[in-house]
Order: sequence, then C-alpha cells, then structure tokens
Amino acid sequence: MAALPKRIIKETERLVSDPVPGITAVPSDDNLRYFHVTIDGPDSSPYSSGVFDLELYLPDDYPMCAPKVRFLTKIYHPNIDKLGRICLDVLKDNWSPALQIRTILLSIQALLGAPNPDDPLANDVAEDWKQDEKRAVQVAKEWTEKYAKSKEIATTSTTEESV
Amino acid sequence: MGNAPAKESRSRSHSQASTTSMISNLLPTILSSLGAGRSRARSYSGAFSVNTNNTNSAGLLGILGGSNSIGSAGGDKKKRQEEKVKQKELHYQDLVVRYYENVDGGYLAPYGTYKSNLDFNTEIVRNLVIARRLAPFYTPLQDFDPSWSDNELVVLLSQLTLHLIETAYSEDEDEDDDIDSRKLHKSANYYRRQEQRTKLKQIIAVAKETQKHEEQVFLEDKLKLKSTQSQDQSQILDLPSRDLLLALYRNASECPICFLYFPQHFNISRCCHQPICSECFVQIKRLDPHPPHDDPSQTSSNPNETPHTLISEPANCPFCAMPDFGVTYTSPSHISTGIEGMTKPGLFKSFANIPEDDSVIMDVSPSSPATGSSSLSPQRRSRMSGSSPVGGGYPARRRSSLAASDPAVVTIDMIRPDWEQKLISARNRLARKAATATAIHASNLLIDDNNSGRSSQAGSVLLRTMEDRMVEEALRLSLLDEEERRRKAQEDT
Ligand SMILES: [Zn+2]
Ligand SMILES: [Zn+2]
Repeated sequence: MAALPKRIIKETERLVSDPVPGITAVPSDDNLRYFHVTIDGPDSSPYSSGVFDLELYLPDDYPMCAPKVRFLTKIYHPNIDKLGRICLDVLKDNWSPALQIRTILLSIQALLGAPNPDDPLANDVAEDWKQDEKRAVQVAKEWTEKYAKSKEIATTSTTEESV
Repeated sequence: MGNAPAKESRSRSHSQASTTSMISNLLPTILSSLGAGRSRARSYSGAFSVNTNNTNSAGLLGILGGSNSIGSAGGDKKKRQEEKVKQKELHYQDLVVRYYENVDGGYLAPYGTYKSNLDFNTEIVRNLVIARRLAPFYTPLQDFDPSWSDNELVVLLSQLTLHLIETAYSEDEDEDDDIDSRKLHKSANYYRRQEQRTKLKQIIAVAKETQKHEEQVFLEDKLKLKSTQSQDQSQILDLPSRDLLLALYRNASECPICFLYFPQHFNISRCCHQPICSECFVQIKRLDPHPPHDDPSQTSSNPNETPHTLISEPANCPFCAMPDFGVTYTSPSHISTGIEGMTKPGLFKSFANIPEDDSVIMDVSPSSPATGSSSLSPQRRSRMSGSSPVGGGYPARRRSSLAASDPAVVTIDMIRPDWEQKLISARNRLARKAATATAIHASNLLIDDNNSGRSSQAGSVLLRTMEDRMVEEALRLSLLDEEERRRKAQEDT
C-alpha cells in the first residue's frame, strides 16, 4: 500500500489531540483509511439518548472526493436508509476538499438534529415523518432505545477506559 | 424443454449482434459521405519559448488544415490515434519535474502528492507558472517547525527529491467508460482500447524513468556543487542558493487542502482570499458530466432539457462554495529567479542585512533597468509596479474579490479547456447507448413477431419501420458526430 498522505495523518492526529465533543473517530489498525466512528445523538433530538456507530472510509482520491460514511447502527431517520447510507449534500456533489473528517461528522450529527423529510433517502420514513411527525419522532426514539448504545453506559465505559 | 431457453437466448444474441453491426456498418458510410477527414497536430512550445499572453487561448493547439481527399476513413482514424498517443507522451513528459526548469525557486510540474486528476493541460499550466500568474510547484515540506535553525532547515531542504516518484501517476486515468468490456462479443473498439491502455502504460513507464533520470541529474549536480567551487557551469547555477532556500522556506506555511508546507507565496482564491498551493489548485475540476439534479431551481432554468441531457458545471470554490473557482497569484517582488526571472537561482543572494541601494538586482522596481526586464510581459511589469516593496518584499494582499472573468484570475476551466468537448462526447455516448437500446428493442419485437406466427406481410412492414428507425438513428448520430467534429475544429483554430 502506498504511503498515507500527510493530510490523512495530520487529520487523524488532530482528531485525537483536539477531539470533537460527542464524536469519536478511530482509525483501524490494519487500514488507516478506515475509521470506526461514534456519534452521540444531539440533545433535544429523538436520538439524544443514543450513541451511534458508523464506518468511514477515505477513498484513494481523498480529499478530492468525499469520504464514504455509513451508519452501522439501525436508525429511523428520513435521510438515512436501511443500509445506513446517508443523504447529505456535502457527502456528494457539494463535497469540498476544504472539508475534513471532523466537519463531515459534525454535519452528520447536525442532520440527526434536523431531519429533512423533503429531501429523503428513506422514502417510507419520510412519508411517515410528513404525515405524522409526532409519531415518527416517537418511532425514532424507540429505535434509538432499541438499537443504539445507551449514552450513559457509553460514557461510563469510555471514562473507565481512559482511567 | 430444458434446451429451449438456451436456444432462444442464442438466437436472440445472434440477432442482437447483427442489428448493432448493421448500425455500425451504416455509420462509416454516412460519415464518409459527409467528408469528415482531418487531422490534428499540437504545436509544442517548450518551456523556454513562451507566449505569456496566449496561455489561456486554444491558440496553443494548432490545426493542420484539411487532409481530406487523401486516405480512407480508417487511415485517418489511425493518424488521429497516433496524434493522440503523441499528445499523451507530451503530457506525461510535461509532468516530469526537472530542476533546471524553475521559476522563483519552484518548478513547472507538480511534486506528485496526488496521483490522479493529472489531466489538466500541462502546457497551459507551465506557461501560467512562467508568466507568474500561477504559483510555481514548490517542493512541499511534510513538516515544519519555525524553531528549526537555518542550518537544520537547509539540510532538510537539500535532501528533498524533485518528485514523489513511488506513488506517481495512476494508470486508470482513462475517462472512457468501457461498455465493450462487459459485452460477450468484443468489438474492434474494445481491442483498440486495450491497445491504447497498453500504450498508456508504456508512456507512464517512460515518464517514470525520465523522472528517475532527472532525480539522478539533480543529485549529481548537487554533489558537484558541493565538491567544486567553480560555479560557472551554467546548469549548476539552476540549483537554488542557500539564500534562496531560506528566503522561500524560512516562513513556510501550510496549504489548507493538502496540509503540506510551502513558501508562503500561495495562489489566492479570487472570491474569499484563501491560500491554495498549485498542486491542489490543478486538482480542482468540474464533476464529470452528469444528469441534472431533480432540484427544481435548476430544471426550471433549462426548460428544453430531455431526460437524456447531461450537464457540466464549473467547480465551486472549495472554501466558500462560490461558483467558478479561480485564483490570482502575485509573485514575490524580492525573488525573481529561473525562467524569465532576473537571475539564476544559484546566484540569488538575500540582501536583508545590506542597505537598500545594494538590493537593486533583487528588488524589482519598475524603474530599475535590471537585466532581462525586457523579457517580461507588460502585464507582469505593471503588476510588479503595483506590488508594494514593504513587509520584507512580500506583495500586498488583494483585499477585494475579483470576477472570474478578471484578466488576473486563473480559473479551473482555463487549465482544462477540454471540458466542453468532454461534455459533448459524453452526450453523444449516451445518445449512442440509447440508439443501441432502441435497436435491441426493435429486434426483440421482430423475434416476438416471428414467434407469434403473424403474417409475413406484417413482419416485413415491421422490419421496414425498424430499418427506417435505425437509419434515422444513424443519421442523427452522424450529425452529432459532425457537430462534435466541427466544434473541435473551431476550438483548434
Ligand atoms: Zn495544497
Ligand atoms: Zn471562495
């Protein structure tokens, strides 16, 4: 494998030295372009109680093309489909090489806080969302309880690790 | 019963092949009747014969007039193919970093940080660098610490290679989506493309060898410079002096895209004044032609669009998303070395500690009758007179935004002027795919018709309409080709 570009090395270092609150991104041991990611559900969103697992991969052309990001945790959200794929403009045509892993993950966290059923990826979820938002939010909460890691357990376990 | 589906599919694929071949047989005939015979030639101007005013025009590509009547369409195709190969060779040779091709301590080709997207027009870019309209390709530092001593910095710099050869040039640069490779019956096109791919591999291998050779020359000359005190060999004077290295890298700063450290003379985005190194700049390009988004604001602006239309938009600024990304560059007024510069890089001396009047040679003021100023374009001279000599000779930073059409701005479309041609080709490819689909559909209708045992008369009527449709389609495509050809010719002249 070719040497890792300096940009990826530096981004990884900075993710560790200056972590983003509520987000972790740890490169895999055997492939430094592959990251294990967790994102805390934003407060005052139906996902607030959960911690979500994602995978992030930096393709060969990164940063000239966007990272590939996918939810591993099942999530009920109009812009995230069954396979965990995310409908977010900055992951597609609006990607800019000035964006980083950090900014992309923040955008995804923001998307959890502001679902956009008018630009859906999961059409059935978007329909539910438009027809009965209250109910959809309730389902999202239930799914979060059911599939995401609990925030409290996650935080205690990470503090234990760091001690 | 078990054999039936296989039989059917065989007969189908057979008729399929024959219908498509009918179309492809028709095309050359129609084409040649339109008299489409010509050849292109690229007039290659080397690094030392520069036309600074003409860098963004298609004037760099010459066209040799009509070679019409001579040679069949096939021979013409071969000629065009050879021409294409020659251009690829030149392109990859242009990507080789040669230390004696330097401008203000940087080079005319990228260091090799990126191995793909190298399809920019190298000739235009080289000339823009020489004209000091785009920052030269400086060798990047992977790390930089301002606390390093001058000696530490110089030692580090003297160990750098010209190019990051081991990761250089990806071979899957070929833009064409090869539909043929997925077909059972490989067409002549497929084999021709295979051949092209092998050729490209060879060209890249040669370029890599050339780069290795240039590294060797660079190394040997550096050693020569160390061992001898005779500095009159003109080539050795192309090695940067210690003063030049320090003047460039003492205050190195990070490019916000690649995170590498460069001399702080960056290209500056026209819209939001953000720095970007040249190697990152030439990476920014239009997305491949794509269908328009179902964004209502976009479709409404183009009411004539059919579902088959592909579009292409200029790239946005990576920093502020302003459409039509472009940069300006102001070369440092206190450094003017190399091609079209005031002095050889080996002769550059920093006069930082010496009174003003001694610095005339280095400090290019418009009134100074310094040698070689006649070779500067008027544009450059005027820009230099505009730059203030204060602040250690660093040019004053532009404060306002500039339009993409401003003559000082280099846009991403200027360095890839073939974007329009690519869009047209992509549209034609799509049209051709649609035509093949139509033909397949029509042939399937025929088979169905035969199977259902309708009267032969109905069958022949259907056959005739199908032929009509195919002829129509072939005509339409040949018109598209003709349009494309005319475009190309227009662009070349
Ligand atoms: Zn850069
Ligand atoms: Zn901008």
